[in-house]
Amino acid sequence: MKQDALAPRPTLAPPRPWFQSGKFLLFLAGLLVIYAYGWQVTKINLPELVAGAKFVRPFIRDLVRPDVLTRTRQTQQVEVAMSVDPAVAPEDLPAPSGPVLRTSTQVAPVGSQVQVTGSGFRPNAQATLFWVNPIGNPQQVGRVMTDAQGAFGATITVPEAFRGPEAGPRGAQQRLRVVVEWTVGPLRPSNTAYIVLQKIVETVFLALMGTTIAVVAAVPLSFLGARNLMTKNPVGTSVYYVTRTFFNIMRSIEPLILAIVFTVWVGLGPFAGVLALGLHSIAALGKLYSEQIESIDPGPIEAVTATGASALQVVRYAVVPQIVPPFIAFTIYRWDTNVRMSTVIGFVGGGGIGFILQQYINLLQYRQAATAVWAITLVVAAMDYLSAVVREKYV
Amino acid sequence: MRGAALRLEHVAKTYPDGTRALRDISFAVRPGEFVVIIGLSGSGKSTLMRCINRLIEPTAGRIYIDDVDITALSHEEMRRLRRSIGMIFQQFNLVRRSTVLTNVLSGRLGYLPPSFALMNYFPKDEVARAMANLNRVGIPEKARTRADQLSGGQQQRVGIARALMQEPTLLLADEPVASLDPATSHSVLKYVEELNKKDGVTVLCALHFLSLARRYGTRILALKGGEIVFDGLPAEIDERRFKEIYGEEAEEVEIA
Repeated sequence: MKQDALAPRPTLAPPRPWFQSGKFLLFLAGLLVIYAYGWQVTKINLPELVAGAKFVRPFIRDLVRPDVLTRTRQTQQVEVAMSVDPAVAPEDLPAPSGPVLRTSTQVAPVGSQVQVTGSGFRPNAQATLFWVNPIGNPQQVGRVMTDAQGAFGATITVPEAFRGPEAGPRGAQQRLRVVVEWTVGPLRPSNTAYIVLQKIVETVFLALMGTTIAVVAAVPLSFLGARNLMTKNPVGTSVYYVTRTFFNIMRSIEPLILAIVFTVWVGLGPFAGVLALGLHSIAALGKLYSEQIESIDPGPIEAVTATGASALQVVRYAVVPQIVPPFIAFTIYRWDTNVRMSTVIGFVGGGGIGFILQQYINLLQYRQAATAVWAITLVVAAMDYLSAVVREKYV
Repeated sequence: MRGAALRLEHVAKTYPDGTRALRDISFAVRPGEFVVIIGLSGSGKSTLMRCINRLIEPTAGRIYIDDVDITALSHEEMRRLRRSIGMIFQQFNLVRRSTVLTNVLSGRLGYLPPSFALMNYFPKDEVARAMANLNRVGIPEKARTRADQLSGGQQQRVGIARALMQEPTLLLADEPVASLDPATSHSVLKYVEELNKKDGVTVLCALHFLSLARRYGTRILALKGGEIVFDGLPAEIDERRFKEIYGEEAEEVEIA
């Protein structure tokens, strides 16, 4: 650019390449400003992607082992009375028959080490050691496998535990508990699997009911929103504009927001979700239907009328074949969309699988959450495939 | 089957926007004639066709079919009369998503009780009649195909089969080959000609190409600006008449 200014200007300058033109450079500068501001305002922080990875690791790990199948679990549990205060004697527990749990001492101050041995337990099973405080809250202190004879040995550190509401001598009387756990019998669907199945069915039906409500309302409304039918006189024209405005406003309100309104109105649960999806879908379907009616080919209507057919016959053989297959296709597509949306609607209390997915996530039950996520994925993919097949067949 | 006689007396049509599509049209057609109507786009050919089966209501004049004044008929009487007037169209006007068979059967609706339509029911003998008509236009194997899967020529043959279902005495053909290539045009017009020669159906056919008009017509009517400017035998259209109808700049193009 600077050279241009110094050099004598030729009478007929060759056109500069487009990437040197002032307009383009200005455009480039503008883009740079926009993206620089965008980067800043959205607080993009790429290192955090690496640094924060450890927080999602448990969830990702559990995603590949969802809680679907399980075996019946059996446990053995034995407790030993302990005291953390040399001045206080441990409780006097009745000696249990069966497996035996022993500790190197029964009086151990907080922070001291205690040898734990067990015998007579189930061989090759997982043994978990808990420290139990006076009000019965367990706290895991160790984990070990039993050997082939059903014995195990471990060293634990006595933890600082809550001593109960009154800090008397009773508070020093605590317990050590071992729980040996193993599974028996064949694999069977887990409780989570049953709950998720029930909720995913609820979700599909939630979407179905919402879509049905929408179809019932949208079919008549779509005729009022069809330009070719309505704009023949001023009354019709105003009805057309009112209908179209309603469609546009309702379509622009996210079903999520409608769901919040309806959970306040009719309470938490799937009914609120049905209403939210229904209302949103009326507008979405109404618009699609109207556009289909507007694109009807008048030719076949003229041709069938010319054969001497009555009005009913003309509708049946020239109008219906032109609108019903696309209506069916749009409706199934909407149902498919609604299944996906009802997942999110569950997050705000609109029922369906989103409701329990959110609970599982909040309780950090990631394996259960994974089951729900996989169920959603499978159902959405299946609905997507189904609706594509139906659309291909009918349209 | 015998063709219908047609007579128009001072028929005029003015559209609500003021366009005068037809002005004072009078002519008579004897049973069994093959009348070709020629004229530029916008000369009133389509409006004339549609006035004859009252898809468009003429604003003035009388139209007689076999000495019945159809302009005086009620809607229901007109509907019955339409059953004997077949019509084929430039754009074929088939229901694209329906099967060929359903499209052909829809030509018979005027003869069937409307209640059948609610159950999409057609009697067996009507289905057989439809198959026979598809056979006649040479595409019986397409009966179960969707109409939009067919080529243009095949679609127009479905249109003819649909008109055949009406057992018409008069056939209105509104530029039936304007969307088709020359070879296909002949194959379609041959079916129309056969209908005229074999069954004696009176044919009123709008065509664009003079060569086709000369080849198939027994009589030619020329429209210009909504008026008849020529009514005579195909052989009578010479250079001078041609320029009268189509304007000074027109050149006659041949169609093979």
